[in-house]
Amino acid sequence: MKRKPVGKIIVNILVILLCCVWLVPVYMVIVNAFKSRAELYENIFAFPKHFTLEYFQGALKKMDFLMAFKNSIIVTVIAVGIIVLLSAMTAWMFVRSNNKLSKFLYGLLILTMLIPFQTIMMPLMQEMNQFGKFFGIPFKDSLGGLIFMYVGFGAGMGVFLFHGFIKSSVPVSLEEAAIIDGCNTWQLFWRIVFPILKSITVTVIILDVIWIWNDYLLPSLTLTSIKNKTIPLAMSLFFGQYTIEWNMAMAALTFTIIPVIIFYLLCQKHIIKGVAAGAVKG
Amino acid sequence: MKIKKGWYALFTAPLMIMFCIIVIIPFFTGMGYSLVSWDGLAKSEKVFVGLSNYAKIFSDKQFLTSLVRTTLFTLITVVIVNVLALAFAVLVTTKLKVRNVARTMLFLPYLIGGLILGYIWQYVLGDAMSTIGDMTGLTNIFFNWLVNKKMAFCAMIVVSTWQMAGYMMIVYIAGLEAISDDVIEAAEVDGAGFWRTLINIKLPLIMSSITICLFLTLSNCFKIYDVNVSLTGGGPNNSTEMVSMNIFNEIFTKSHFGYGQAKAIVFFVIIALITLIQVKITGDKEVSA
Amino acid sequence: MKKRKIVSLVLATVLGASMVLGGCGSKGGSDASNTEGASGESKGKITIFQQKTEIYDQLKELAKDYEKETGVEVEVWQISGDDYYQNLKTYMSSESGPTVFSLSSSTEIAEMSAYLEDLSDLSFLDKINDDLIAKSDDKTVGVPMTAEGFGLVYNKNLISEDQINTTDALVQTIKDAAADGETGLGLSQEAYFLIGQILNTPFALQDDPAQFCQDVYDGKVNIADVKEFQELGQIFEAIKENQKNPLEVSYDDNCGDFATGKTEMIHQGNWCYSLFSSYDVDFDMGIAPLPIAGNKSIAVGIPSVWCVNTDASDSDKQLAKDFLNWLYTSETGADYLTNKFGFIPVVDGMEADNLDPLSQAVSDAIAEGNIIPWTFNEEWPAGIITTYLVQNAEEYFSSDMTTDEFLRALNDSFVTAANE
Repeated sequence: MKRKPVGKIIVNILVILLCCVWLVPVYMVIVNAFKSRAELYENIFAFPKHFTLEYFQGALKKMDFLMAFKNSIIVTVIAVGIIVLLSAMTAWMFVRSNNKLSKFLYGLLILTMLIPFQTIMMPLMQEMNQFGKFFGIPFKDSLGGLIFMYVGFGAGMGVFLFHGFIKSSVPVSLEEAAIIDGCNTWQLFWRIVFPILKSITVTVIILDVIWIWNDYLLPSLTLTSIKNKTIPLAMSLFFGQYTIEWNMAMAALTFTIIPVIIFYLLCQKHIIKGVAAGAVKG
Repeated sequence: MKIKKGWYALFTAPLMIMFCIIVIIPFFTGMGYSLVSWDGLAKSEKVFVGLSNYAKIFSDKQFLTSLVRTTLFTLITVVIVNVLALAFAVLVTTKLKVRNVARTMLFLPYLIGGLILGYIWQYVLGDAMSTIGDMTGLTNIFFNWLVNKKMAFCAMIVVSTWQMAGYMMIVYIAGLEAISDDVIEAAEVDGAGFWRTLINIKLPLIMSSITICLFLTLSNCFKIYDVNVSLTGGGPNNSTEMVSMNIFNEIFTKSHFGYGQAKAIVFFVIIALITLIQVKITGDKEVSA
Repeated sequence: MKKRKIVSLVLATVLGASMVLGGCGSKGGSDASNTEGASGESKGKITIFQQKTEIYDQLKELAKDYEKETGVEVEVWQISGDDYYQNLKTYMSSESGPTVFSLSSSTEIAEMSAYLEDLSDLSFLDKINDDLIAKSDDKTVGVPMTAEGFGLVYNKNLISEDQINTTDALVQTIKDAAADGETGLGLSQEAYFLIGQILNTPFALQDDPAQFCQDVYDGKVNIADVKEFQELGQIFEAIKENQKNPLEVSYDDNCGDFATGKTEMIHQGNWCYSLFSSYDVDFDMGIAPLPIAGNKSIAVGIPSVWCVNTDASDSDKQLAKDFLNWLYTSETGADYLTNKFGFIPVVDGMEADNLDPLSQAVSDAIAEGNIIPWTFNEEWPAGIITTYLVQNAEEYFSSDMTTDEFLRALNDSFVTAANE
């Protein structure tokens, strides 16, 4: 596809314009983080009259941001790590030994992704309470318990994504060659298969990171004490029953999404790199 | 390939055990609750009522209407989201200079959680729309969408699309990037244009991404809740209340825990059927490596 | 590799900025760890969970002061206002509830009654009007946090009291305002501010509201045939015909319009005063009764009560009661309630010197006994406002439904909800 340079520039500009329209609501998040309630009432779309970091400071202080940030990082990193490793293993096993049990378990994982969360939250909390008592480990109001629950909930999508990718893009021949070379199943998976999964792994990581980073309902039910709050929980302080402290909420939101954007930028390269590396091998 | 049982267990058991504890057991407990009349508090009495909660569903007009509405919403949104997401993905995997910037920008909406997103869009679809209407005089398109039953429903579609398209784009990108350059180059050498390459080469090769995206959008749309609560709150006059919100209100606002659970089970069975049909149809078209 | 540098630069900047900005925040954090260190001789710990997000900061301060004074650690839990009751129920059902919590209506109290500790032995109960104390089976289970009142919050520069002291005058005022391009009486889109609170008045004005509600539920009387409701209907009609559709107005907009003088009055309560602080309000305001059927009283009720979790250990329950006693009887406690929380006092002898003008008006009305009750908290079926009544009102304001049809639709909703 070869086009004239002028045409290319126009396409580039059009794409950027599309993106800008797409981002109007994001613009609103940012500008309103600088406005007082009166200014916000006057015009929610306008550029702020003066830049003040007052609401950013206020939000950080009220949320105890560093503490919440730390908790969110711990939960997200550990939970996503476990989800990715375990679901890649499980998905590969399901694809490679495609027996009745695999099919049944796979179907079960997929089906449960359709369960509306609200319907299992109460039984789940009761069960976690019983478990906590039985084993003497706190499942509630502990980051560990929350991570455990995330792994359970993330299993469906993780296995689903890996399963689809392995089925369509990982050649069996490669694995058979490795077995002939004397790899056992464990080595085979980690040395040969897992590296090929790089691009889907990054995708799963991105999707799960965003889900867990932003999730509100589950932590709101499990974490109660201040020292355990994650960012979305801490942000809920700005949501009163009838009114929202917009400036604070928007400032907090800005702080919350910046790390994810950076993270996404870092990952994005790996999606491309992973594929490039694969292409070289192939 | 033959794999020993021990390896099979080692690879799958840890995840499956956690999954059963977290999802399966509570789900069946919840199913049990659908047979009782109960207000949701552990100390309150649970009265066994058999299947009468289920019987009640069929005369619950509000629930049935919201079920039809949710299905309609889902069908429309799934199509728009996927077409748009695929278009975005194709756009940002071409050799455009701005592709990386565009990728990030298009993906950004998904980073704003559902609740806040709904509140922000209230301003766009409410205030901004009526302001534009006042300025241009085109008041039959530009007015406060959220007070009009039909347009409030459209608003739900617009906002959900806006949120989900970038998300699905990520999955499509993964699929498109996995196509080896050789294949595309070969097609180009053969003289295939942009559209021919897309339809004859790329689409069949990303069938598994399509299955995944359709499934994810289907289930996300059916279960939509956050945007519903914050954007329209189900109004005006209940014209945009989706099933999840209906169930949530039954359980927590009206404290009819058992009945709400029964609705949830019925709802679950319906979406399970629909999505399984979808997975079956598109899954058959997948090309295996 | 230039990109990586840029990214890491951005990352560093963000982290740096959050450190600098968060300076105050982290200071708060180190304070907390200090007190933790001091509580080596800790005398126990209670947890508090309540619905008002706006007093969260002050409550945390109070917790610190209380610990300094008594050595008992107080931990404050908080969640967004909308999710409060649902989360409380889930916590309670999984045996991980707070020690002290708030409930906000008799429906909630009835539902949670099995979890409520008997509070009859609190030391200050005799100083609180018996009607304000929450009871369940004759047990005292909740002590009022504060009182709140609502009515017509009006701009004294724009209208005088005699322009709104009868239904006819009010309707005329709404029409006149519209003729001048202003809004007469602002309602907003949220269930409580669109219909819930304003519909309270005609119920509260009945001789025996409880009996009246029962008659409505039993189909013995239709509200569309009752004078108080018909007059409220006239007001709604005037709003529908003369003003911007209330469904397009949010709570924040409504209060903003009032604060900037574009709206002459809003149907609101004293709590909305806190919203005005960021505007330059240059006029006096007051709360007037909704004048239907000659009503001269504003509606005053208890938005929430403090309760103690009966599942807590005996020693924790005692700590919780000690805390409540301290809150209502000590000087520091009273200072927090009246000055820092801005609560209208409900305990005899507790004086608030610097209430905002709206709270002062409510407080005066209470002192004069010139009040009508909140029937929606006491008598109405659970959840009716957000699941039924708001739908009726939305239909009314977005279609050509007549006012009589509207009143009959409301009546049907009461019958349906009560018999569900």
